Amino acid sequence: MSTAATVSTGRNGRGPIVVVLAVLTVQVIALALSLAAGRPTAYALFMLASAAVLAYAADAGPTGVAAATLGSVLLVALAFPLALFAARQDPTLVAAKLTDPAVHRMLYLSIYAPLLATLFALVTGVPLAYLLAEGFPGSTVVQSVVDLPLVVPHSVAGIVVLFGFGAGGAFPRLSVLGTVVGAVLALTFVSAPFAVDGAREAFESLDPAVVHAARVHGANPISAFLRVSLPLSARGILTGAILTWARAVSEFGAVAIVAYTIRFFYPPAGEVVRSAHAPVFIYQSYLSGSLAESGAISFILLGVSVAIFLAIRTAAQERGRVL
Amino acid sequence: MIEVDLALTVDGTGTDPFSVRAALSVADGETLVVLGPSGSGKSLLLEAIAGVREASGSVAIDGSDVTERPPEARGLGYVFQEYALFPHRTVLENVAFGTRYHESTREPMAVLDDLGVADLAERSPDTLSGGESQRVALARSLVIQPDAFLLDEPLAALDAPTRAELRGVLADTLADETAIYVTHDRTTARALGDRVAVLDSGRIRQIGSAKTIFERPASPFVARFTGANCLPRRTVPPSLRERFPEATHVAIRPEHVRISDVETEGTIRGTVVRAIREETAHRVTVARDDCRIDVLTDRPPSAESVAIALPEEHCHPIEADEPQRADQSLL
Repeated sequence: MSTAATVSTGRNGRGPIVVVLAVLTVQVIALALSLAAGRPTAYALFMLASAAVLAYAADAGPTGVAAATLGSVLLVALAFPLALFAARQDPTLVAAKLTDPAVHRMLYLSIYAPLLATLFALVTGVPLAYLLAEGFPGSTVVQSVVDLPLVVPHSVAGIVVLFGFGAGGAFPRLSVLGTVVGAVLALTFVSAPFAVDGAREAFESLDPAVVHAARVHGANPISAFLRVSLPLSARGILTGAILTWARAVSEFGAVAIVAYTIRFFYPPAGEVVRSAHAPVFIYQSYLSGSLAESGAISFILLGVSVAIFLAIRTAAQERGRVL
Repeated sequence: MIEVDLALTVDGTGTDPFSVRAALSVADGETLVVLGPSGSGKSLLLEAIAGVREASGSVAIDGSDVTERPPEARGLGYVFQEYALFPHRTVLENVAFGTRYHESTREPMAVLDDLGVADLAERSPDTLSGGESQRVALARSLVIQPDAFLLDEPLAALDAPTRAELRGVLADTLADETAIYVTHDRTTARALGDRVAVLDSGRIRQIGSAKTIFERPASPFVARFTGANCLPRRTVPPSLRERFPEATHVAIRPEHVRISDVETEGTIRGTVVRAIREETAHRVTVARDDCRIDVLTDRPPSAESVAIALPEEHCHPIEADEPQRADQSLL
C-alpha cells in the first residue's frame, strides 16, 4: 500500500478503488484475527496504527499523520462498535428473525410510516421552505417554530402531539393513540425540520439571476419554480428528505408515547395487524427477550436502512443532471 | 422605444440605504449604454426595468405602460454578466426556453447557427467557455424576439480577446435593436453606445451621444470616468483661462494632448511620471502641480521634463459646483 501510486493519489482522498479495497480487506482480516484471538481491543489499536501508517505512506507530513491519528480515534469510537456489533451477531438467529412474520410486519410499518411522514413533510415543507428562502416579515419567527422540534426532548414531543391531536385536541374525531395517523404525526413533528431546512438551503443557494432569466424570458412564477428553481434544488430537497426519513425511522421517544403499539392494515396478510415502530419493537424485544435477539433484529434494521439509503443515492446519481 | 422613470431604494453596504433615481428614454433601434463604476446602481436600474426588482415610477415599452406587468409580460430580453444559463438543461433547451411562452419566435437552431455555436446544441452549459456561454445566453434572448434588450455587463467576465470578439458580435446583433446596455467599461460604451448615460451613486450625471459624453463631459467625474484629462483651472495655460472665463476645469482627451518641442504661451511644463506601451500608442503620464495629465503619443519623450500643448479646439470647459469632488476621482 505504500507504493508510488498510493502516494500520488492518496492526498486528494480519492485513490484508485484497488487501494480502497486493499485497505478494507486488511481491516477485515485484522478484525477477524483479533476476534479469533478473543482480543477485540487489539483491533482498535490496529485501526489507530494503520491510520498513522497510511497517512505516513501518503506523504502527509507530521501534521497529516497527527490529524489522521487523532481522527481515527473518532473513527474507532464510531466504527469499532459497529464492526464488533456486526461481527458478533449469531447468523442462525439473524436468519430466524429474517423469516419471522412479526419482524416483517415491523419492517413494513417502520418503512411505511416514516415514508408517509416524509411525504407529508415534503408536500407541506417545500413550499414553506421556498417562502422562507425568499424571506418575508416574520420569517425568522417562523423559522424558529420550524426548528423548535429539534431542541424538544423526544418524549416531550410525544406528549405535545398527544395534547395537540389526541383526545380533546385540535381534531376531536382524529384517533392518534396507537394508530398510524398518530405515529405519522409524531414522526412528522420530530423530523419535518430536516425536510424544510434542506429545501430552504437549496433554494437559498439558487443564483437569483438564473431565476430572473426564466421570468424575463417568459415563465410566470409557477412555471419558473417548476422548470428552474425546483429541478435545481432537487438535490438539496432529496438530501433533506433522506434525513427526514432516516430521522423518522430512528425515532423512539415520541412514537413510544403516542403509539407504543400500532394497529395498521398489512397488505401481504390482507388484514389489520398490530406491531410497533422499529426502535420501539427492538426495545420491547430487549425487555422481554434477550440482548442476542434484539441484536439480530437491530442488525436486520440496520441492513435495510443502509440498503434503502444507498438505493436512493444511486437512483439520484443516475438521474444525474437533474438531481 | 423604452421610456423609464424609476426610483428604488435598497439596503446599502453601510448604514445608509442606497437609492437609484433615473429617467431616460431609448429610441427605436438605439443602444443606450449606461456607464458607471461598480456600485453606481446600474444593475439595480436594469433589474427594475425588467420588473424583477421592486421600484416606484414607470416603465413604458413601445408606448405601452408595462409598470404593472410582471417580468414575463414586458417583452424584454435580458443578457447577464455571469450568463445565468439553466445548468440543468442543454444549450438547445436553454435557447428554446422562451418559445413556449411566446407566439412569434425564431427557430432556436437558426439563432445558434447565426451566432456560430450551432455545434454546441446538445452540450451542457457547464462545459462551455465564457464566450460560448454568452453567445448561448444572447441566443436565448434573440429567440423570443423581444421588443427591447437589456444587457448587464455581458462582456465583463470574459478575457480580453474573447471580449473584443464578442463586442463585435454584440455590435452586429444590436445594430437595429432597441437596447439598454450597462457597463463600467468605457471602451465598450464608446463602441456600442449610440448614446451614453453616465451613472454615479444612483443618479445620471450626464446623458448624450457617445461623442458628447467622451469629448464634452459635463463634470470632472464624467471626464475622469470616460478617460478624459480633467485639469483644474490653475493648471491650464493663461490663454485657456481667458478663453473659458467661467470654467473651473478643462477637459481634454489624452489623444488630443500633444507633447511639444517648443515651449510657447499655450503650453505647460510638467514632469514625465511614466510611459506605458498600449496597443497602438504610448500612454505618457505627465505631472504638473498635483494634477496628472495623460498623453497618447506615437513616440515617448526622452526628456524628463516636457512641454505639453492643449489644443484649444479640443478643450472643453467644465463648470463644477463641487470643485472638491474633482480631485477625489475614482481613477
